[in-house]
Amino acid sequence: MSGDTSAAAASSAADHDGVVGPGTPLLEVRDLAVEFRTPEGNVRAVDGLSYRVAAGRTLAVVGESGSGKSVSSLAVMGLLPDTARVTHGEVLLAGEDLLSLSRREHRRRCGERIAMVFQDALAALNPVHTVGYQLTEALRRRRGMSRRDAGRRAVELLDLVGVPNARGRVKDYPHQFSGGMRQRVMIATALALDPDVLIADEPTTALDVTVQAQVLRLLAEIQAERRMGLVLITHDLGVVAGMADDVTVMYAGRVVERAPVRDTFGAPAHPYTRALLHSIPSSGAGGDGEGRRLPVIPGRPPSPAALPTGCAFHPRCDTARDVCRTDPPPLEAVAVDRASACHFAAEVLASHDVPPPVEHEEAAHD
Amino acid sequence: MTEHVLEVRDLVKHFPVRRGLLRRTVGTVKAVDGVSFGLDRGRTLGLVGESGSGKSTLARVLVGIETPTSGQVLLDGQDVARLSRAGRKQLRRDVQMVFQDPYTALNPRMSVGEIVGEPFAIHRVRPPGGRAAAVGELLELVGLDPGHVSRYPHQFSGGQRQRIGIARALALRPRILVCDEPVSALDVSVQGQVVNLLQDLQDELGLSYLFVAHDLGVVRHIAHEVAVMYLGRVVERGPSGAVYDGALHPYTQALLSAAPVPDPSVRLAGPSAADAPGGGAIVLEGDPPSPTDPPAGCPFHTRCWLAPLLGGGRRIPEPCAATRPALEPPRADGGHRTATHDDGEQHGHEHARDEHTGGGPAHLAACHFARPLPAPERVGS
Repeated sequence: MSGDTSAAAASSAADHDGVVGPGTPLLEVRDLAVEFRTPEGNVRAVDGLSYRVAAGRTLAVVGESGSGKSVSSLAVMGLLPDTARVTHGEVLLAGEDLLSLSRREHRRRCGERIAMVFQDALAALNPVHTVGYQLTEALRRRRGMSRRDAGRRAVELLDLVGVPNARGRVKDYPHQFSGGMRQRVMIATALALDPDVLIADEPTTALDVTVQAQVLRLLAEIQAERRMGLVLITHDLGVVAGMADDVTVMYAGRVVERAPVRDTFGAPAHPYTRALLHSIPSSGAGGDGEGRRLPVIPGRPPSPAALPTGCAFHPRCDTARDVCRTDPPPLEAVAVDRASACHFAAEVLASHDVPPPVEHEEAAHD
Repeated sequence: MTEHVLEVRDLVKHFPVRRGLLRRTVGTVKAVDGVSFGLDRGRTLGLVGESGSGKSTLARVLVGIETPTSGQVLLDGQDVARLSRAGRKQLRRDVQMVFQDPYTALNPRMSVGEIVGEPFAIHRVRPPGGRAAAVGELLELVGLDPGHVSRYPHQFSGGQRQRIGIARALALRPRILVCDEPVSALDVSVQGQVVNLLQDLQDELGLSYLFVAHDLGVVRHIAHEVAVMYLGRVVERGPSGAVYDGALHPYTQALLSAAPVPDPSVRLAGPSAADAPGGGAIVLEGDPPSPTDPPAGCPFHTRCWLAPLLGGGRRIPEPCAATRPALEPPRADGGHRTATHDDGEQHGHEHARDEHTGGGPAHLAACHFARPLPAPERVGS
């Protein structure tokens, strides 16, 4: 395969067009809004989220706690808790709106075509069933496979995700696996029904760095092989940079920036994205802990129950002006394929035509 | 010669594994297996490692939650184990801990004032000006509103709770703070605030930190010196710039290379990763072995990416599987070190070496074939 990602991406987009029909993404979320019922009234956790995922592409949804990134994926899967409901929007799976279906039907469609991997594999896998049982459950119920065929498939799946001695390990229980292996098992269960789209919610956050690298590599390989669409929900901009093609940045339930990864990291178009990128302590630059302060974002993410007026980010923003305190900025195009919800997006974007000021006096000498 | 505020000599902490009705000991978890280092006043030692590497156990031994199986912990050159009761109590005041999870480390039924003031009660200390004033000062010191003393932990965000935990740790004017993953439970945008606070407090109060973390970026930022642990042992130690820019141990090299960097041109995976300049990320196979049964020879040899390359025909060089490498400076030519240490004298050797270098901490690695690998191209460098 060619080493050039952009070429690979372009060809994958072309292939996908041929398969599903021009311009139809596998999964498209349009203007999604989710509200929670609380004793203090209704709280809007997600407000106007839109994204699309095409075959063979990876979309990263980035945000901090309370940004609505996880809630939105539960809404896509039809897994929202009873206290929450979708108040607005569409979730289109190959053109069909899942939200117009009954909940039961929604779940059934998802089960066939969208799979989800959660952060905490120990909590997501059932501790009282063997891994083999959990892998075969869906195959037997949905595909009507015989016990023997499903069992064979379970071994294949474990093999595929790189669990050593797969044949022996299908009879083991989740607690008998290490954290990394459990995450692989969960990926295997997600792949059992050959989904078109995989939603991975913080899939490697609980893992060690070296194991995280293994699992991410596995996800990328499987995705490339099966031309799956991958939605990667994460707070780790390093993971985003290493894995995703496109990124959607969420803050306080809203999308603040949407762009191809390369563009955003080179020149963010929203002050929040810019601040996030600056606040990452890098293991690649800097000195020996001497007199350097991390650039930080003052304050903290707002509670969805008490959002600031105007732009939700304005109390923490370094470029906020009067209009930001009163008018919520709409998400508008700022360049080809790029959108930002900031009144001064053009300014923010332009300030990055020049490279950002060097934060660390002593840059590494590589 | 400056004396270390805190020194650890050949520290060992083993936990027995008991099974069955008679609770017979069937094995030992070698959580910490011979660790030595020194920490100077106003300095930060970063302790890096994966889960199971023993870094948290080490932290717990230092604050006295666990007692070491063998080895010494010296505070101002005094062996902690030989201290009197009163001396041990003083130790508890001098060495305080900041915990990882600000949600579980604070008693939800106590007000902030009670939490921060509790150390005074436990140690029967009457701070000058009274307890209430001292609590107010502490809250101010960590950037919280002293007017919030009567609030409860749930009324604060994660970052603020971590500040409360730091205020509590500072109450008795300790000289050393052991921070166990103090920012890993926090949002990215809040992590920096807490890291900066810790740095300010260090400058202001001359504190020494042992900073335990798995986030290599945060450690590089805050630590003057770094020790990398693997299976209960320090495999590499040195000034953080030297370790990050010129890691000597293949494990450190793999750790650094596997850490995702916020630069889209460094792909973690996919076809471009392998063809990337420098060969892309070093991805280790498998999980760390169990500390109940660490491999013979070099504990890392079962996962080492370098050893098979050296052996030519996929065979691991003989010394890697046979002899445990000592923590020492690399040979200039990067070749195989023939002389392996005598087991009994290991820590003596290290101390001799540390004192020889005089000017600053030496860069040491526990690998028979230690050699520098230039840091991969990274964003902003």
